[in-house]
Amino acid sequence: MNADPSAFKKNKEFSCPGILFSMARTPETGRLFYGSSDFKVYEFDTAVEKPAPVAFQPQEQQQGHQSYVTGVALAAGQLVTGSYDGKLIWWDLEQRHVVRQLDAHEKWIRNVIASPDGKMVCSVGDDMQCKVWDAATGEVRHVLQGHQAETPHHYPSMLYANAFSPDGKWLATGDKVGHIVVWNLADGKPAGALEAPGMYTWDPKQRRHSIGGIRSLAFSHDSKFLAAGGIGKIGNIDHLGGPTRVEIFEWQTGKRVHLLEDDKQKGLVEQMEFHPSGQWLLAAGGDHAGYVKFYNTADGKIIHQEKTPMHVHGFEFNEAYDTVYGVGHGKVAVWELKAAPAKDEPAKDEPKPDAAEKPAAKGA
Amino acid sequence: MSGQASNAGRSIDRRSFLGTAAGTAALAADMTVLDGLKNPLLAGEVKRQQKHVILLWLAGGASQLETWDPKPGRPTGGPFRPIKTDVPGIEICELLPKMAQRMKTTAVIRSLNTGIGDHGGGASLMETGRRKEPGLQFPDLGAISARELGRADSQVPDYVSMYSSTEGRRKGTSGFLGSRFAPMFLSDSLVPANIHRLDALSDLDHRERNDLRQLIASRFSRQRQSQAVGSQLNAYQRVRGIMASEKLFDIEQEPESARARYGPKQFGQQCLIARRLCEAGVPFVKVARAWWDSHGQNFETHRELCADLDHSMSTLLDDLQERGMLERTLVVTLAEFGRTPNINPSLGRDHFARAWSMSLSGCGIKGGTVYGKTDADGQHVADGQANAGDVFATIFQALGIDYHKEYHLGSRPIPLVDFGAKPIKPVLA
Repeated sequence: MNADPSAFKKNKEFSCPGILFSMARTPETGRLFYGSSDFKVYEFDTAVEKPAPVAFQPQEQQQGHQSYVTGVALAAGQLVTGSYDGKLIWWDLEQRHVVRQLDAHEKWIRNVIASPDGKMVCSVGDDMQCKVWDAATGEVRHVLQGHQAETPHHYPSMLYANAFSPDGKWLATGDKVGHIVVWNLADGKPAGALEAPGMYTWDPKQRRHSIGGIRSLAFSHDSKFLAAGGIGKIGNIDHLGGPTRVEIFEWQTGKRVHLLEDDKQKGLVEQMEFHPSGQWLLAAGGDHAGYVKFYNTADGKIIHQEKTPMHVHGFEFNEAYDTVYGVGHGKVAVWELKAAPAKDEPAKDEPKPDAAEKPAAKGA
Repeated sequence: MSGQASNAGRSIDRRSFLGTAAGTAALAADMTVLDGLKNPLLAGEVKRQQKHVILLWLAGGASQLETWDPKPGRPTGGPFRPIKTDVPGIEICELLPKMAQRMKTTAVIRSLNTGIGDHGGGASLMETGRRKEPGLQFPDLGAISARELGRADSQVPDYVSMYSSTEGRRKGTSGFLGSRFAPMFLSDSLVPANIHRLDALSDLDHRERNDLRQLIASRFSRQRQSQAVGSQLNAYQRVRGIMASEKLFDIEQEPESARARYGPKQFGQQCLIARRLCEAGVPFVKVARAWWDSHGQNFETHRELCADLDHSMSTLLDDLQERGMLERTLVVTLAEFGRTPNINPSLGRDHFARAWSMSLSGCGIKGGTVYGKTDADGQHVADGQANAGDVFATIFQALGIDYHKEYHLGSRPIPLVDFGAKPIKPVLA
């Protein structure tokens, strides 16, 4: 792995109709699957010269999604998608046909993810339930309930985010008011709870409604740290003009090790992922515009941040962590963060360049 | 500038009212005792004479696509689905499931094209039914309704306006009708401020001072024919009624079951107060629910605010109906404009005055009707275009107010509704 966040640059950008809410990628390829605001699921190969979205086709009229497709995961050789219509659909990847369709949640499904081994799929919805499914059979393994249905102000809450730990032992869920539960996948019981109330803005005076919520969760690769992403306190909740907000917890002790707020690029943190080294974290999202931000996990400082051509709703690294595939508002984009080839080692008796002569990391 | 409109209509109402039910009217006017309405004679009199308006002002601009005019399956449609209502063929957004079961009481107008897309200008237009005119302050819907529906001898407020949020807060205006029809405005509290008798003044002192004032005033007015003097006397006569109206705003006076029904949220509580006020004879009550200005996160915002609207409005309609008040109470949802069909990158919708919706329920309305149509994506009115003046003419017609009527400012006639405005007859009973 030879990734350098400060070398981040856009490699490709494609316009696609609609709002692209979620994506998954076939390993070792640039072949993406995304869920869209037109209620459809598409395949999109970024590796070909002039890629075009190819829609998955339900065979029967009653099949397919009836609302925004907000969760896409590859598991057990199939594509599993979830939608605001509450349905989970298993698709055959080659035929692009429906294999299984379930009424999975009573309210909107906010996200669908696959476990690291691909044997489980997890969905979260605004019925405030997290459901863990057998990816191969579609049977429910766990129904996890640890989030309040209403906010403290008597409005419906929302369960936006979920994440598996890389060791496959834990599952985290996060809701609108900033409550996080970490579940033990062995027995389906809570293993810990965290609070991040700074993600939730209730305006009692000017506009009398709320905004925010935990929109993304990510475990570090050693499963020790858990990052929660959202938006900080907003003065004018008509807009997403608040600071991006990431809180990193040592989740088993409940200790918050970093609170990362930044308003150079504003808006929601829609997705995050730690680099396998644990040295940095990528967060992406946006408001009217989009952004990516690389955080140094040691000191919490921004290594690099950059505007993106769209509000980013989902992204995925390649296996080398030197390429990022992203989807968002009307766009698919591919970025690279490949480190420059290392120069020859200086001769033993030559002085090493001092730190002041090294290129400074952008945005640090 | 005080109101110079002809008082003919009001005089007749007052004469007939005083002539036929002077005693009961006096009791009704002192609405400190709601129990007075249990008197059948009084209740009948009030029912015959009084009509009411409750305006649910969706401040900031609610989305027509997430309320009354869903566009399922279209790029502009958003994620919500339409649901069937208790009227075959009419579908509204799934965010209003309780209202969907009450569409028999409600008419929807889906074809408003009002042309002003900024908050101040749009609010002014939809409050007064016409564009601003230099040098002339038009009264708003509340003031006109108070003027046309209120009783001259009423001791309760004629126009109460509640707007608790600070964003976009507007008090309302009686314009050239003068302060007699200005709203009693509640902003920071559910109970009006500054209507208490000063502690330093005993009730007896207050009554005696009033008696003395009346004695002097009646001697003074006996030798003079002046509208100003009459107005002054009338204002003072209302003082004790207004002072005593505090109880009308106290929802603790309601049984717990009634309070529970409206729920713990402020909008519901204000709707309950609105019902209490109308029941006591207040002709016009505005309840503003801010703030719908969802430039970002439109769908999340509407999930919260529509839940509030759906519950509060449906409870209010049920309550009015059960009390026999709905047939003489017009419940209106209106805003300064709607929201863009296009969804922006913040998943928001912006201001949009070209093709939006409102609803009318109850008094004078043909429930279960939909008037007007927008195109497939909701970008333009496709049929039945209506403007702010038409909305006002429709409301007045529903209330039995002659929308052709004119006020006079000196020699200048000012029609109640803007020139060319016509009622939307298909929504009228």
